[in-house]
Amino acid sequence: MLQFKPTLKVFLSVCLVTLILFCGKKKVDVVYEKKVSSGKLDATFAWLDKSDNFSDNKYMPVFYDYYAKTLNENNLAKAAHVLEVVSSKKARNYSFDDKFVSTINTFVITYQSQLPIEKTLFVNSYFCTLYKDKGDFKTAISYALKTTLVPVKDYNTCWEVAYAFSDLSFCFFSIGNQNLAIKYNLEALTYFNQIQNINGIGAVYNSLAAIYLSSSDYGQAEKYYDKAIASFKEAKDLDNVFIALGNKAIVFEDSNNKKLNALVDSTFNYFNASGLDSPDTKVRIYNRQITSLLSENKLKDAKKIIGEIEPIVKEINSSNLDIDFYAVVVDYKIRNNEVIDFDKLLKNVIPYLIENENYQRLQVCYTLLKQNAIKKNDYKTALNYEQMLAKVLLELGRNANSNKVIELDKKYQTEKKEQQIATQEKTIAKKNATIAWLAFSILIVIVVVIFYQSKQKQKKLKLEKQSAQNYTKQLLEKTEEERKRIASDLHDSVSHDLLGLKNLFEEKATQTNAKIDGIINDIRIISRNLHPVMFDKIGLKESIKQLVERAQSVNNFMITAEIDYNSSLDSSIELQIYRIVQESISNIIKYANAVAAKIILTESKNKIFIEIKDNGKGFDVNKILNNSAAFGLHNIIERSRAIGGEAKIVSGKNGTIITIQINK
Amino acid sequence: MNILVADDHPFTLQGTKSFVESYGYKVTDTCSNGTSALNLILLHLPEIAILDINMPGLDGLEVAKKIQEAKIRTKVILLTMHKEMTIYKKASQYGIFGYILKEHAQAELEHCLLEVKKGNKYISSLLEDDLIACADQNLGKLTTLTFSERKILEQVANQKTSKQIADLLFLSEKTVEGHRGKIIEKLGLPKEKNALLKWAIQNYHK
Repeated sequence: MLQFKPTLKVFLSVCLVTLILFCGKKKVDVVYEKKVSSGKLDATFAWLDKSDNFSDNKYMPVFYDYYAKTLNENNLAKAAHVLEVVSSKKARNYSFDDKFVSTINTFVITYQSQLPIEKTLFVNSYFCTLYKDKGDFKTAISYALKTTLVPVKDYNTCWEVAYAFSDLSFCFFSIGNQNLAIKYNLEALTYFNQIQNINGIGAVYNSLAAIYLSSSDYGQAEKYYDKAIASFKEAKDLDNVFIALGNKAIVFEDSNNKKLNALVDSTFNYFNASGLDSPDTKVRIYNRQITSLLSENKLKDAKKIIGEIEPIVKEINSSNLDIDFYAVVVDYKIRNNEVIDFDKLLKNVIPYLIENENYQRLQVCYTLLKQNAIKKNDYKTALNYEQMLAKVLLELGRNANSNKVIELDKKYQTEKKEQQIATQEKTIAKKNATIAWLAFSILIVIVVVIFYQSKQKQKKLKLEKQSAQNYTKQLLEKTEEERKRIASDLHDSVSHDLLGLKNLFEEKATQTNAKIDGIINDIRIISRNLHPVMFDKIGLKESIKQLVERAQSVNNFMITAEIDYNSSLDSSIELQIYRIVQESISNIIKYANAVAAKIILTESKNKIFIEIKDNGKGFDVNKILNNSAAFGLHNIIERSRAIGGEAKIVSGKNGTIITIQINK
Repeated sequence: MNILVADDHPFTLQGTKSFVESYGYKVTDTCSNGTSALNLILLHLPEIAILDINMPGLDGLEVAKKIQEAKIRTKVILLTMHKEMTIYKKASQYGIFGYILKEHAQAELEHCLLEVKKGNKYISSLLEDDLIACADQNLGKLTTLTFSERKILEQVANQKTSKQIADLLFLSEKTVEGHRGKIIEKLGLPKEKNALLKWAIQNYHK
């Protein structure tokens, strides 16, 4: 039995699709009624359209006459329609002859371009079926692809496209490309669903079952065949019911199901009872029955049935059926120890199969040849066929591999999912990266903003400090200005007025004179204390010297001054230094109880250093500074700050040192 | 002999002019600010210019400075209320011939003009009074000593060594030694050991 398995598989599949095509047409007839455009058929056309009449000997002559007449009437659409009807019947019955092929070819060359593309799609399906039957799947595929490229507009085109996908699926299945077979099957299912074509849906289930079968997933295969049988029965499509039953038989056969012979026998009886007039279906069912009988070694019954279908096979003239039937016959002959025409096998069948890459059937043939050789004890030839068989099996690698199609498909799906997950993970990672990046950016922005704000704050503080400093400076300057004005007013106006007064009284009383002189002197002293006399003119160095001299003479206090300064500062700053020195001396004389003091004023390239020291009793600097009464010390500090310097006061029991640095 | 008088106080100006004329001199120009004074001096080249120091525009010192720079023969007498020695010192840098105080002008102006006319300098005797106005009215001999010398003497009387004195008064030891020599010289003390110490302890009282 084993050697028939692949043959039967392909065989039944071919039949399936072919018959689907046929039965599909029938279905269209049903739907046809829905189409307004179909119109009424004349008597001849109606006769041609009737399936039963195909087997009539007059069928083809009537067609040729009718077709020629329609063309003469220039009714192209009608001609195409009748050609479509007849070609589908011819294809359904695997009745291929040169005359009809050339008729179609002529039609294609002459008229196809004049008709809308959807009206001539039957050409593709006819040739597709033709080449499928010849085992030339490449050409068959090219015709089916043509149809699938047509845009789906209406029921008809959808139907054509759906079947073209079915054909494609079958072709790829036949040449071992299971991935594409599945793909196109699913495409076909989509289109069949669009037109609610139960036959088509059943056919797709059938194909899917075939693929599961080829993957040795018998449970699934049986399930899908049952689905397909149910669909076909619902559609009252007996041809396909039998096809599916035959396929189910293959499932049982492959899975060594004991119910096989019962199934085959019941199918055989069911067919005979149904009265279905389908020669090729009959041949297939009878073939299976013969195989079943042979397996039970009922050679007589087998021979009887062989004899019954042999003329039918010859009449049908389908190479597929021929070879399948031949395989059965060979099996019978081997079992019956009859001579097998191996020459026919070698010369006709094998080269044809090789040419069409029909490896499955080649496998059967080589197996037969090998077994035959073994039977004849011709081991050399057997080895040769074994090698050929190995080659075929190698070619069938794709098919063998396809046993794992579902597994691979699952793997592929898993991989796809994994890939999706990976992509998602990647996206998430990307997102995370983006988020991280954004967070980082925001952080940077925040840091920058904070930095900027603190900088602004610092700037503001600096400005405030500067403005405070400026204010102090201006305040001091204004005070000095005011003092200067008062001093000069006192000196110039009051003194002069008194002078005038003195001159008036000149002759009278010397007493008055002395008093007035006293007033003038007092004013002079007040004036001098308010503002150093002609400070702008005299300069810092001389003014300090005078200050020191006066302090010595007035207070009898030893002060030495060491001044190394060359008037490099602005007069207003000089005046502040003068005031600082004045204040320091005043403090020393008032509080320090010192023996002597020293004033040092030096300058470097960009700084002025002032040092005022005494050897008095000293004081607690912090305590005094916190005391509100320490106006003198604050005066020194503030004035230093106002002119951009800093005063440091260090005091102890050995005296006090005030140092001030001023930037030039 | 032509004289220019400049003072921003019209009253004083008039008074000065009257005094000068009363001494028999001719006042050719009077003005009330330093700029006019300089211009008139450059224009008329008077022999003597009596200038106040405090004036609008250029002050007396600046005018004196310009005259010195222009190398004009005009002799400058500053007549001012400023009694400060520093101002006189500044003025003397500009080659002035006279420096008298307004409050004593009556007494000094005639004499001053006379001296300057001769080509001599005249500085108010009352000017230096200011510096020693409050000085110790002590023993006669001590008045010859400078302030620093007196302070050193004071410390010598306190039996301090030169080094100690130097530290106390913020001076160098060398300076103190120099001052001691001068003091001995000024006081006419004998050149014997501890002569100054002995003298100071005996004669110097705080």
